[in-house]
Amino acid sequence: MERLLAVLNVFARIALMFGCAMLLPIGVSWWIGDGALTAFDEAFLGTLVIGGVLLLSTQRFRRELRPNDGVLLVVLCWVLLPAIAALPLIFGIPDARFADVYFEAVSGLTATGATAFSGLDKLPPSINLWRTELHWIGGLGIIVLAVAILPLLGVGGRQLMKAEVPGPVKEAGITPRVTETAKGFWIIYVFLTLLCTLAYGLFGMSWLDALTHAFSTVALGGFSSHDASFAYFDSPVLEGITIGFALVSGISYVTHFAALSGRSLRPYLRDGEAPYYLLVMAGSVLLIAAYIWQQNYYTEFSVALRHAAFNTVSVATTLGYASTDYSRWPFFAPLWMLFLCSFTTCSGSTGGGLKMMRAIILYKQVFREVAHSIHPNATTYIKLGGAVVPNKIILSVLGFGFLYMVCTIFFTLVLAASGIDILSAFSAAVACFNNTGPGLGLVGPDSNYGVFNDFQVWVCSFAMLLGRLEIFTLLVVLTPAFWRK
Amino acid sequence: MSNPLAVLRVFALVLLVFALTMLVPAAVAWFEHDKAAGAFLRGFLITLSPAALLWWLTRRHTEELRVRDGFLLVSLVWVLVPVFAAIPLMDFLRGMSFTDAYFEAVSGLTTTGATVIEGLDTLPYSINLWRALLVFLGGMGLIVLAVAILPLLGVGGRQLFTAESPGPIKDTKLTPRIAQTAKGLWLVYFGLAIACTLGYAWAGMGWADAVIHMFTTLGLGGFSSHDASYAYFNSPRVELVAIVFMTLAGMNFATHFMAVRRRTLSFYWADPEIRWYVGVMYASVLGIAVYLWQTHTYADFWTALRFAAFNVVSIATTTGFANTDYAQWPFFAPLWMLFLCSFVTCAGSTGGGIKMMRAIIVFRQVMREVVHTVHPNAVRTVKLADAPLPNKIIFAVLAFSFIYMAIIVSLTLLMVFAGQDIVTAFSAVVASFNNTGPGLGQVGPATTFKSLTDFQTWVCTIAMLLGRLEVFTLLVVLTPTFWRK
Repeated sequence: MERLLAVLNVFARIALMFGCAMLLPIGVSWWIGDGALTAFDEAFLGTLVIGGVLLLSTQRFRRELRPNDGVLLVVLCWVLLPAIAALPLIFGIPDARFADVYFEAVSGLTATGATAFSGLDKLPPSINLWRTELHWIGGLGIIVLAVAILPLLGVGGRQLMKAEVPGPVKEAGITPRVTETAKGFWIIYVFLTLLCTLAYGLFGMSWLDALTHAFSTVALGGFSSHDASFAYFDSPVLEGITIGFALVSGISYVTHFAALSGRSLRPYLRDGEAPYYLLVMAGSVLLIAAYIWQQNYYTEFSVALRHAAFNTVSVATTLGYASTDYSRWPFFAPLWMLFLCSFTTCSGSTGGGLKMMRAIILYKQVFREVAHSIHPNATTYIKLGGAVVPNKIILSVLGFGFLYMVCTIFFTLVLAASGIDILSAFSAAVACFNNTGPGLGLVGPDSNYGVFNDFQVWVCSFAMLLGRLEIFTLLVVLTPAFWRK
Repeated sequence: MSNPLAVLRVFALVLLVFALTMLVPAAVAWFEHDKAAGAFLRGFLITLSPAALLWWLTRRHTEELRVRDGFLLVSLVWVLVPVFAAIPLMDFLRGMSFTDAYFEAVSGLTTTGATVIEGLDTLPYSINLWRALLVFLGGMGLIVLAVAILPLLGVGGRQLFTAESPGPIKDTKLTPRIAQTAKGLWLVYFGLAIACTLGYAWAGMGWADAVIHMFTTLGLGGFSSHDASYAYFNSPRVELVAIVFMTLAGMNFATHFMAVRRRTLSFYWADPEIRWYVGVMYASVLGIAVYLWQTHTYADFWTALRFAAFNVVSIATTTGFANTDYAQWPFFAPLWMLFLCSFVTCAGSTGGGIKMMRAIIVFRQVMREVVHTVHPNAVRTVKLADAPLPNKIIFAVLAFSFIYMAIIVSLTLLMVFAGQDIVTAFSAVVASFNNTGPGLGQVGPATTFKSLTDFQTWVCTIAMLLGRLEVFTLLVVLTPTFWRK
């Protein structure tokens, strides 16, 4: 119990900081006068009150956090912050269901980008900005989660990354490590966001749209301020910019950091994941372009290539924008895209899914087993980026990969049991669990999750959280062993 | 390097024995005057001559087979014997393509039970008998494969079972071990066969039908001599007999053997795999019965229970009989059944899928990972029947489960690529790969696999073989390392 209170104390401070993030949409709302100002004011005050009360009442339990407390803090942040993030939406969109609003906030903070609302174009711009700002803030958290916290916990073989992360590695306390790690990466993150905003703004978006979409692109979220998503702009240049930034955002921030601090591109090549990530992506874009062109969906190859490139990169990096309703493409194409989104992104990025690093290890392990079958007594190794991967990590990765698939099956079964057709159930499960966003069928790119009933929406919210926290983080908090002294 | 010539000699002997079994339907056809006698005699001669020739050419290579030769022998038997098994079918059913005939034969010998033949009721008895006999023979081969050969090869953690199965344990020579195991287990198999035939006859089936259905029940195959499968009999008593024998055939035959030899039932209790197998399967029966009753598919609970019990046990044990078109049930039910068929049966049975033993190990390993995340330095072992499992086995099991799922995903993508809808593609792959039989959609229990294109049929054929040979056996033979000196 004491642990919970100590963690709540830290959480209260994060909540207060999070509340301050509302000042941006408040400013925008006040500047353009879009009528959402009261909603944000109420939400801002509400957050300050909740955070303040929580902070004061837990102040005497304040202490330095230990790694295990980190697990709890992470879970609390991702489960409770959406409730706070939902406040402006609750006040601003009066007739919305709570399940939808919480879903929207979770979708924002986990950088998923699945929306439960239609009529986005008619919403006050400040509300749309808030939605994508959630992505952006979530992205900040995800980077810390991915490069500092998960490796420390060793979730699903994540400890592999520990050695590569700059900053004090062997430190027992979690705060110094996180602050140290975060600083460098956040600078890159902010820099990328600014660059992206500038590019969008210069090439045809209004500056507000540019900022809104930059938030969402860099975090690999996928919220847009338009129902039509990128089809609204219908601009190959903007799509090109999105592809570029999505690809960059899908690479590990650790690698970006190393490249920047060494002023060299070599870290990208030495990175065990990035080359595979880019190769798989390029190969899939060509494959899908050729496939939909062959099936006569588009008469010209260049048009097919344009849409294949944008939508494939968007879904595979777990971003989730759409420039056309790709669910109408011959069915193999969208299925392949869903398949990609479950493993393509690199492990230190804001993307979701199994991560390329684990996919490579799983792949190599299968061949190692084949070799073992032939030479039962041979000693074989798996290497990644030139270093031997210890057996313990391979075991973790295998367990994780298996659990990942089981979760996908589980969510599909639950959604199917609640009465959704198999295609919608499966694609919703995959799209939420991998933090991608749009699925197929009922929840395709030209539709939204508002068609689901309350129960189904909650299942999807849970899937997004479970996927984002890499299952174990959430699972661990639910085990009795965690709470035992 | 294995010893291909010695392997070929044994294969020739297997083929010789197999040719002789064609005389059984030939004799039946001759007695019944059903016009198929010629087809079987020609099939007999076409099989006998190459088998004899092959044996004569390799007769000097009587070297003892080593463990590694097992990979080649097993692959040869399951890939090539169906070619000969298909000959009488092609000969009699004019117009049947080799693709379809080979599919049917593979489906029989892998005890899958998926058929491409429509109008079974109008076929001569001998043809249906041959199809069922293939399942029975396949089952005989499988028991030996599962209990004697795969553990020796160590496929996917199978070495675990070496300790439990009867026969010489530490022997690295292949033949004495197979002979030893086969003797005991086939005795049990034939015992069950006689009991099952009597059971069906008691329940009201004609003797002719009783024999055919006994063959396919014990092999957990699922071929029937009626298009309507068990709906043709429409008899709860027949269904009950089928349920009992399907359940028995899904258990480890080594356990049956021990129980018979020591004349005690305690072995069943001591086997953790059997406890889970029975528990999961019958809990699912109850769950689905309640679900069907609640969703008003059946008006009263007992009807729901009758249909749930038969179809769930039939699919979960990978048999594939149906007494109603369960594809019309609310979608969760058939989906759950497909889910069950991928892991429920026990490791030493004629059933397909991952096997319950591996499912238990994977589950415990995942739990171990959770504990590891909380206590990174804790030393914990995965135990099975009170014995700790070596990491090597856990590795193999995890890698196996992973490649199992990966193959389902890839083959589904391939089917979709070839233009199949998602439900048909996915269910056909799952049903073939797990050696179950009927899928959903176009390949549902009320239809056949006939509507598939040639390419799609081949995908399913390969899926059946891969599933039956537990992936690695076939994969190993295809690697260059296997053939290197």
